Amino acid sequence: MTKIAVKVDDLTVAYNYKPVLWDIDLEIPEGVLMAIVGPNGAGKSTLIKSILGILKPIAGSVSIYGKPYEKQRQLVAYVPQKGSVDWDFPTTALDVVMMGTYGSLGWIKRPRQKEKKAALEALEKVGMLAFKNRQISQLSGGQQQRIFLARALVQNASIYFMDEPFQGVDATTEIAIINILKELRKAGKTVIVVHHDLQTVPEYFDWVTFLNVKKIATGPVKDIFNDDNLTKTYGINYKVSIQK
Amino acid sequence: MNSAQIEIQLIASLVAIACAIPGTFLVLRKMAMISDAISHSILPGIVIGFFITQDLNSPILILFAAFTGIITVVLVEYIQKTGLVKEDTAIGLVFPALFSIGVILIAKNANDVHLDVDAVLLGELAFAPFDRLLISGIDVGPKALWIIGVILLITISLLFAFFKELKISTFDAGLAASLGFSPAIIHYGLMSVASVTTVGAFDAVGAILVVALMITPAATAYLLTTDLKKMLALAITFGVLSAISGYWFAHWLDASIAGSITTMLGLLFLIVYLFAPSKGVIAVMYREKQQRIEVSLLTFLLHLKNHNELEERHVNHLREHINWQKVRAKTVLELALKNNMIMVDNNIVSLTEKGDTFTSKAIDYIITNEDAQIEDMKDDFFLFRG
Ligand SMILES: Nc1ncnc2c1ncn2[C@@H]1O[C@H](COP(=O)(O)OP(=O)(O)O)[C@@H](O)[C@H]1O
Ligand SMILES: [Mg+2]
Repeated sequence: MTKIAVKVDDLTVAYNYKPVLWDIDLEIPEGVLMAIVGPNGAGKSTLIKSILGILKPIAGSVSIYGKPYEKQRQLVAYVPQKGSVDWDFPTTALDVVMMGTYGSLGWIKRPRQKEKKAALEALEKVGMLAFKNRQISQLSGGQQQRIFLARALVQNASIYFMDEPFQGVDATTEIAIINILKELRKAGKTVIVVHHDLQTVPEYFDWVTFLNVKKIATGPVKDIFNDDNLTKTYGINYKVSIQK
Repeated sequence: MNSAQIEIQLIASLVAIACAIPGTFLVLRKMAMISDAISHSILPGIVIGFFITQDLNSPILILFAAFTGIITVVLVEYIQKTGLVKEDTAIGLVFPALFSIGVILIAKNANDVHLDVDAVLLGELAFAPFDRLLISGIDVGPKALWIIGVILLITISLLFAFFKELKISTFDAGLAASLGFSPAIIHYGLMSVASVTTVGAFDAVGAILVVALMITPAATAYLLTTDLKKMLALAITFGVLSAISGYWFAHWLDASIAGSITTMLGLLFLIVYLFAPSKGVIAVMYREKQQRIEVSLLTFLLHLKNHNELEERHVNHLREHINWQKVRAKTVLELALKNNMIMVDNNIVSLTEKGDTFTSKAIDYIITNEDAQIEDMKDDFFLFRG
């Protein structure tokens, strides 16, 4: 019996009293590499933010390995959607990666040599060591995404949430990122990725959740990634020419 | 310099430092307008606090006014959350309302004290040294100096303690929240500091200068650096520099000190805005011109690479073939020659080995968008500097 890494019960989330997620129940088993798919505005980012306590749901609850998120922060790493931060902020690549260590430091304590070393290792892993002192606005889209990934790696978590990590990156970076994600899964971590390119779902992921305000389906890619669920999620009559 | 002059400059400098610190974060959070709102809407807080304490310099009055500042922020956010109006509109709704309540309260009740709207907006730094703080009968200096000194001390301690938290929640509020650094706590902490600083400074320098000292030095520093700590240091430097030069400018012209300091702030900003090395207007214009030349150069090199026929590579033909209007052919030819990328033999232009390699690499870069290809070309060419 595999353990349940993330459990969501009856979750309803609203902006200005207009629900964008309705009564979501979701169990994510430990050790899967899972895609969350759904059209724009389906609530994918909202779901992740609610799991991570960034948004307060109006109903329902979330648990990470059986306990509330607040008690399990150290187990979770998060890569927000790239557009959610100000890339003109005066800071360097290394500094952004160091931010990943802030969680384990807690309030007031400052990062030291140990944290810097961890950040440099993470930069190396994503192939960005040469850019460590580069101001972040002077990195390409793919490089910025690698920096975000390095920042998540430095958190040394058990569960990774990534919101559209392939948005605006070149093919090489996409392959580099997916390889690192597959490595994480091999090491027993759980990885949850908001993903847009339906063509690559079977190739990259072993688990999938269809979401559009409500949860449409969740399970192994080989069992549930089919035209029926795609049609239910995307509305239009979906015929994918995806070879499995 | 007499002691009053020194005291005025000291007060102005401490106010500048105390404003630059929260100001830097307000600018980075794109919240410059909120400092304007706070500086105006604390007025009713000051008036009500004055009715209660009957003392313009009482710490209770400062807390009262700072609390009105927080109420402003909460109201703005509340109105914004209804989704009916944008943030700047919400600010525009809240602070005139609160400010006018303050003005009415003064007009109705405080005619007999030195609370008047002019003093509130412009302050009077020149009189600050006359209002002394006496401790058991001993004169320990101007009250304003003590008030702003204490506020500055608190601000600096908070900055040192929570630098990392301020940085992460300003850059990436989502990550900060997920790591357990509540962006709301940090946000209201920053707003409280901004409010307390505004109240503490404004009796001495007035509301307009407080806003100018919060926003302008930080905005100037932002144009010059890509490092948050340096930005803070520069903002403080610009603030103090404007405070002191503004004082002497006013002295020389026999004009308002607050007005002169504001003028200096504007002047410094203008100079940096024009001449900043990479973000300044002139640097940007220069870079764009360089890029136009480089695009022409690349077009030119590509043409040479694609054509072996002699007539296609004749100097005269090149003039017609490539769009030279924007950049003069001579500049491009010279640039290519200077970099040893071409050679000219009997008016026939051909690529050198270096030019050939460079062109192949550049094509590779443009096609694959692979960053590794371009790293070693960056020093030679602006074009690839992003
Ligand atoms: N801060 C917000 N305020 C109001 N509405 C929002 C906000 N963020 C998202 N929404 C709305 O909530 C819905 C879901 O958004 P989101 O979770 O970002 O979708 P996805 O990530 O699937 O594209 C959308 O209709 C969006 O317009
Ligand atoms: Mg999204």
